[in-house]
Amino acid sequence: MARIRFTNVNKKYANGFHAVRDLNLDIEDREFIVLLGPSGCGKSTTLNMIAGLEEVSDGNLIFDEQVVNYVPPHKRDVAMVFQSYALYPHKTVYDNIGFGLRMRNVSKEEIDRRVRDAAQKLEISHLLDRRPSQLSGGQRQRVALGRAMVREPAVFLMDEPLSNLDAALRISMRAEIKELHRAMQTTFVYVTHDQAEALTLADRIVVMNDGVVQQIGTPDDIYERPANTFVASFLGSPPINYFDGVLEVGPDDRMSFIRDGLRLALPAAHAARLKGQDGRAVRLGIRAEDVAEGPAELEVNALSGTVNSVLPVGSDQYLGMDFGGEELFFRVGKDLRHAFGEEITLAVDLNRLHIFDRETGQSLIWNAV
Amino acid sequence: MTDMPNTPPADAIDYRRRQKIARIVQRLVIVVSAIVLAIYVLAPVSWLVSSAFQTEAEIVSIPPHWIPDEPTLRNFEAIFTAGDSEPVTYETRSGTDPAAGDFIPSTAKNLLPSMLNSLIVATLVVILNLLVGVPAAYAIAKIRFWGRNASVYFILITRVIPDIALVVPFFLVIRKLGMLDTLGSLVITYLAITVPFTVFIMIQYFEGLPDELDKAARVDGCSRLQALIKVFLPLSLPSLVAVVLFTFLASWNEFLLALMFTQTSASQTLPILLASFTSDFTVSFSFLNAAGVLAVVPPVIVAIVFERYIVSGLTAGAVKG
Repeated sequence: MARIRFTNVNKKYANGFHAVRDLNLDIEDREFIVLLGPSGCGKSTTLNMIAGLEEVSDGNLIFDEQVVNYVPPHKRDVAMVFQSYALYPHKTVYDNIGFGLRMRNVSKEEIDRRVRDAAQKLEISHLLDRRPSQLSGGQRQRVALGRAMVREPAVFLMDEPLSNLDAALRISMRAEIKELHRAMQTTFVYVTHDQAEALTLADRIVVMNDGVVQQIGTPDDIYERPANTFVASFLGSPPINYFDGVLEVGPDDRMSFIRDGLRLALPAAHAARLKGQDGRAVRLGIRAEDVAEGPAELEVNALSGTVNSVLPVGSDQYLGMDFGGEELFFRVGKDLRHAFGEEITLAVDLNRLHIFDRETGQSLIWNAV
Repeated sequence: MTDMPNTPPADAIDYRRRQKIARIVQRLVIVVSAIVLAIYVLAPVSWLVSSAFQTEAEIVSIPPHWIPDEPTLRNFEAIFTAGDSEPVTYETRSGTDPAAGDFIPSTAKNLLPSMLNSLIVATLVVILNLLVGVPAAYAIAKIRFWGRNASVYFILITRVIPDIALVVPFFLVIRKLGMLDTLGSLVITYLAITVPFTVFIMIQYFEGLPDELDKAARVDGCSRLQALIKVFLPLSLPSLVAVVLFTFLASWNEFLLALMFTQTSASQTLPILLASFTSDFTVSFSFLNAAGVLAVVPPVIVAIVFERYIVSGLTAGAVKG
């Protein structure tokens, strides 16, 4: 059982660096939370604070009902998997996995049972006598997982555990970690800068930047309803396209996004949220996949431009398109062949448009929800 | 396909031959230099050992005998029985024949006690160095605290001051503490000299070990001290050995401070006593050399025991920083 709460938590280092600002986060028991953000955004610092490896400068960190700000790591019921695995080079795999239990005075028989059990689950039983230096990256990763698993901790922390693995192994390990969470029924806090990992694993994602939480929500929330341009840009490949324009209520009383010759009519749901914003300068976001090829049905959703790059990526192709001086990237199927310099028209999925304030970058549609 | 010519033109430079000659010359230079260096290093030690088994007359013979004609254990016997026989004094010396080496220095009976003193001091210095230096190095390498850099510089700066400049202040402090002519005075002052070195070497090594190892140990249930003992110490064995050797040898060989602080056999260490053998009215080379051989035995034993770690230990500390 572990519910973790951050209330107004700040982390300042001695050199003045403010790593985490006013963090308020409530992690439910047995939840799989992913902290997502670029390097230096404060996600690992947050994880280290949960582990007790970094002190909380200000605010409270609460496990269940107990404030644990000053509780040392070895008194917290947490286990952690590190990016570099951090296996003890002088110990065998068996001793690496059993070390945490031995430090907690678990009986020898129990240690043996749990170590062998974990090794079997992770398919590393045949490696128990080896040392870390004799293992491959994937095997080391499993040992690191095993070391955390046998502890049966209340909180399972992972700091970019897959980033040192090759692409194929990473995908299979993702599935295993998800299965591990299901089997262990304990709280997982997972740090990554990889959006795909976050979207596949998380119950909820916390997107951070510069020490500040940008958005907390389910993977769908984060991807479909980004709270600001940072979140919108951080997820999606190729990244979301932006261009600036103004909102305008047309003669038919529909609110549209206007830019040069372009007029995109906003769906009723969006328009309702933007009521009274007529004439406001905004930034429009269109995700790369939210377009379709072929002639637009209506003029209200057509986007025309010149193809200036074609990048096939196997399953589909990325089109670089020059649109009135803006470089836009879209993902389209590979049925139609495109050539450099070709004039094309794409149909925009109006229901999936994102509209942000041009100055603050805050979403004007989803913040109002 | 055209046929390739089998032989190079007559005026072509034979690079293969050149390379071969260069390789031979290179090897020759290395071998000769190694031999010269080995002779330079080993000759004094060989003479020490050889002459310890010679009589006084044979030692001073010309040409010198590198291999004794009549090897004798008399010199060693004299050391171990020095307490029983009457030391030769100015008054009694006419009864002996200096050329035969049948006399022993007046302080000879203190040889074995002084060896024990040296052993006690060196061992204590090694143990206290590890107890003080290793945790200090771990703290500086792995814990971010206010004044961390300042403390590193402070420790290093003590190594910049030459020992001779410290002699007078040390002497005043030791006298004030009433510790003159005690082993304690040597232990304290040797620590002041060796601990900075220990801390410096161990900081270098600990900083080379990943922080995540420290974090993993602490999450696994170790306190800071347990993380140091259970994870860092086993990994830093090579550096620890380097530290043990350095501090042991530095204490074993130290002369200047021991000369200042010790007066009687209660606290005199081996270097002081060996030096005193040459300050008698006459010098017995055979006895002196036998004592010299005994003096190098403990460091050699320590070195042989830890030999396989020495090289990696010294480089491990040197790679970073």
